[in-house]
Amino acid sequence: MTTAFGLLPRLGILRRSNRPGIQLAVGGSLLLFIFILALLHRQLAAYDPLAGDILTRLKPLLTPGHLLGTDQLGRDILSRLLFGFPWSLGIALAATLIAMIVGTVAGLWAAWVPGWIRTFINRSADTIIAFPGLVIAICVIAVIGRGFWPLALTLGVLTWPFFARVVYAEALGLLQREYVLAAELFGVQGWRILIRHVLPGLRPTLMVMLAFHFADMLIAESALSFLGLGAPIQAPTWGNMLAESRQYLFLAPWMMLAPGGVIVLVVVTLNLLGDGIAKLSRDKARAVE
Amino acid sequence: MSFDARAVVRRIGVLAVFLLSVVTLLFFLLQLTGDPAEVMVGDSGTPEQLEQVRKQYGFDRPLAEQYVRYLVNLAQFDFGVSFANDQPAFSLVMDRVGPTLLLTFLSIIATLAIAVPLGAWLGARPDAPERIAGGIAVYIAQGVPGFVAGLLMIQLFAVHLRWLPSIGHEGVATWILPTLTLASFLAPKLTRVVAANVTEAMREDYIRTARASGAGPSGLLWRHALPNALLGATALVGAQFAFLISGAVITEVIFAWPGLGWLLVKATTTLDFPVIQAAVFVIAVLVFAVNTLTDVLFRFIDPRLRTKGI
Repeated sequence: MTTAFGLLPRLGILRRSNRPGIQLAVGGSLLLFIFILALLHRQLAAYDPLAGDILTRLKPLLTPGHLLGTDQLGRDILSRLLFGFPWSLGIALAATLIAMIVGTVAGLWAAWVPGWIRTFINRSADTIIAFPGLVIAICVIAVIGRGFWPLALTLGVLTWPFFARVVYAEALGLLQREYVLAAELFGVQGWRILIRHVLPGLRPTLMVMLAFHFADMLIAESALSFLGLGAPIQAPTWGNMLAESRQYLFLAPWMMLAPGGVIVLVVVTLNLLGDGIAKLSRDKARAVE
Repeated sequence: MSFDARAVVRRIGVLAVFLLSVVTLLFFLLQLTGDPAEVMVGDSGTPEQLEQVRKQYGFDRPLAEQYVRYLVNLAQFDFGVSFANDQPAFSLVMDRVGPTLLLTFLSIIATLAIAVPLGAWLGARPDAPERIAGGIAVYIAQGVPGFVAGLLMIQLFAVHLRWLPSIGHEGVATWILPTLTLASFLAPKLTRVVAANVTEAMREDYIRTARASGAGPSGLLWRHALPNALLGATALVGAQFAFLISGAVITEVIFAWPGLGWLLVKATTTLDFPVIQAAVFVIAVLVFAVNTLTDVLFRFIDPRLRTKGI
């Protein structure tokens, strides 16, 4: 059983009462729903997400024409929420992919080359993981500025060690397998072995991590935007919407419900998928044994 | 517990590397702003002022010399004075350590007070219908980011019910919502770990032995299964201290709690670099101290770990 280490805390009490099929079915349908909303956000939004109307300021939920109400500038919250999909999910996905690519390369490299390179990569990973990532992200964003790519790059670069650690440990095990040793004996080149023979073995783990990391990055992105250090101030990201709602907790309590709810929806969906895939691959491994 | 001098030296070495990488990153971040003198003087500065600041802080010297001087000053805890109010950055930061530690300490207590009983209850008989419902609720709660939970709690307890104040740091009543908010970062996850561990422990041989010797169901759970389940759960809290500090930053900003995180976020909005550097430095030392302490504590609790070096 090698897939579990970093993820142990996530595997939980639903284990026995819930087979992976249920989690994957629920998670998958929610993901499809989210994907459709993200794809059709332009068609579904009735208003311009940036255009305010002073006459319709702070309208509550279920106002005719404004299902989720309006904000302090009279902007339609539903439209902003929909336009937030490409922003929030885009930043989180880009950050996740950057972390996954850098982390996988670093982890494979460390597993393949013993000696100081391995020590250096593993120590760097430990150092970065030991530190509160948000604190460094705050400082970096404050200097390089807000925006889609500054945010995605910062989060990706700060979180690659989470992938590197897991990839390293698993690749080390896979490199001991007979088929890898056989390839080595046949004189297959190092990078070919890693790509053709080790990487496919990492796929289930990477898929699980992708789901969980995506969720973590969405939360991190919203947190930074919430602190005023995320997406550009006008951008309709969910974190920005939450940050604005904070000023109106007493006057317009509904403003936080939509962005808060959609973040929870996406995170729960990703957790379901991650748990489902983890269990599926574990069951498969058990069946093989 | 044996005292291994070599292990202590290695620990200090790790701390040195850790701090050096953090302060080096901060040094180059300051260079990334373009011209540090411009950041300090602000938009209203005259060329003469710029020149004076450059001389005063040594920004006109070669980069390597600046870096060495920066490290020498840091070794003496001299981070310079805050751009905002000319007070020494280090003492400004040290004043904020207490509130942050208070908040994290309270929230760890709250996390354990919520997660352990709840997890034990859910894990003891995971197939009972009301506990499946409870498990699903905890699963969803795990997907609620801490700051969303914080805003929801302000809505409920401060706005709707008017039981508690929503911001500030005066009196115990103002401590409750920040504590619960920070606890919400970790409590759902910990609940699930405790529950899973309890479920696992209930299937162990020693539980069967205890049952056979006549222990009742509640005795089985609280006296036999839970203590073993708690070991892994407490390790989780220790390992998540860095994550908790990230959570404390957000929580402090929401509730205007006068801790390190709020100071840091305020300092970043004006690029007040001496304060940023001092705050990050102190956070790094804090995290390292807690991690080391947790390691030592676990060696004390769990003898199986003692054979491995620190």
